[in-house]
Amino acid sequence: MRSFPFTADVYFSLFETYNSAIWPAQLVAYGLGIVAVFLALWPLAKGRRIAFAVLSAFWLWNGIAYHLMQFLQINFAALGFGALFVLQGVLFAGYAVSGRRMFQFRPDVFGWSGLFLCLLALVAYPLLGWLAGHGWPRAAAFGVGPAPTTIFTFGMLLMLEGTAPLYLAAIPLLWSLAGGSAAVFILRIPEDLSLLIAGIVGFGLLVWRKLQ
Amino acid sequence: MNPLTRRTFMSSLGAAATMPIFCTSGAAAVGPVLTRAIPSTGELIPTIGLGTWITFNVGNDERLRAARTQVMQAFFDRGGTLIDSSPMYGSSEAMIGYGLARTKRSALFSAGKVWTLLKPLGVNQMEASRKYWGIERFDLMQIHNLLDWSTHIETLKTMKAQGRVRYIGITTSQGWRHGDLEQIMRSQPIDFVAFSYNVVDREVEERLLPLAAERRIAVIINRPFQEGVLIDRMMRYPLPPWAAEIDCANWAQFLLKFIISHPAVTCVIPATRRVDHMEENMGALRGRLPDAKLRARMARYVETV
Repeated sequence: MRSFPFTADVYFSLFETYNSAIWPAQLVAYGLGIVAVFLALWPLAKGRRIAFAVLSAFWLWNGIAYHLMQFLQINFAALGFGALFVLQGVLFAGYAVSGRRMFQFRPDVFGWSGLFLCLLALVAYPLLGWLAGHGWPRAAAFGVGPAPTTIFTFGMLLMLEGTAPLYLAAIPLLWSLAGGSAAVFILRIPEDLSLLIAGIVGFGLLVWRKLQ
Repeated sequence: MNPLTRRTFMSSLGAAATMPIFCTSGAAAVGPVLTRAIPSTGELIPTIGLGTWITFNVGNDERLRAARTQVMQAFFDRGGTLIDSSPMYGSSEAMIGYGLARTKRSALFSAGKVWTLLKPLGVNQMEASRKYWGIERFDLMQIHNLLDWSTHIETLKTMKAQGRVRYIGITTSQGWRHGDLEQIMRSQPIDFVAFSYNVVDREVEERLLPLAAERRIAVIINRPFQEGVLIDRMMRYPLPPWAAEIDCANWAQFLLKFIISHPAVTCVIPATRRVDHMEENMGALRGRLPDAKLRARMARYVETV
């Protein structure tokens, strides 16, 4: 299928411009992501809102700064994606405000899978892009780019205490399928296969946990 | 056989230097620019235009913008005038404006599109497009993919009556909308229509092309190379020696001349991001065209391979 509004070269160029424009937001995002993972591994009563606030900030940033202010230049569909990302950010913000739920790692299949996905987003995803020949700054960066943010979100949701509401995973799943398949099968971006797999496996695990 | 794309084919031309059919330059044909009259006014326009879907959607990348500007200059230098774009094509309209400000040309025929719902959004969008292009007015404004056409057609009629656009039209690149397009062609006073046509996708020869001729509507053809699929496929095979009879030096010219030789076609708008491909395409703007008998032979040859 060639009826896609832009090429991979233009897509990487867009990231180069975007990453340069928002620097050093990427470092801040990494710091926040690491804090969120630590709070899931070693939960603090006072810190239960923080991880949700971090996820909310990531999704709002991606919706507004990436989709609406950057990606929309080359893809009209970014308007819809931007709105969905903002909605996801608002959902996480609601959990941050309420403080009803917290993240807590458990040494079971869900916890280990969640931790694996978080490390995939933080470490492996940028390395895969680099190995594929389009690393920094011509790639989606953690927390400020939609692919690693979505993988990270599935990881965190798998470490949520109790079962995660599936509606919290609906938009991430949609982006995994839509963005991941377009990136892999049309733009030929190999590292985004991890986004596609993370969406399918992550959502499947969340459903399995719900059914237990 | 290994897949051979237009790009790899061009890069291997040196190895084929002894093969006259393969190695002739993109602009081998000489003679005057081939033009067709817009039926509603008799104004002549060159039969090869410039499409911008995908290829001109380059964002703000200065390197890519400079490269597309060179493509535009090559287009103008070889006699092209009609450029077609749409708000749906991302940053393509901004790219065109960037290129127009940096190219020299004798003429421009600007073909824009409106692609949104509701009249006020359409009016705003057309004005935004005009500003992106940096022009006083569009020569042609088309309703893209029939979107909310019954609303926009009234706006366009008014704009034409006020002299804010010279021609109005409607487009589709979707075969399943041809029935609707036919109804609009029969019922609305449009100057232009645009749809897909090439040597292997010939359904429009049955109804739409004859209807355009009957209704005196100019025809712009999009997707002449099936977005690259067709020409990449044809590159695997040798150009037939008899292609020289119609001054075709390469497959791009072969495929484009098949289209523009249809009597109802006014213009075809191939898209490219490369100057060498532009030179190939614009080679079809001069020289001899096939007659009906040779057109049939061209179609048979492509079917055969």
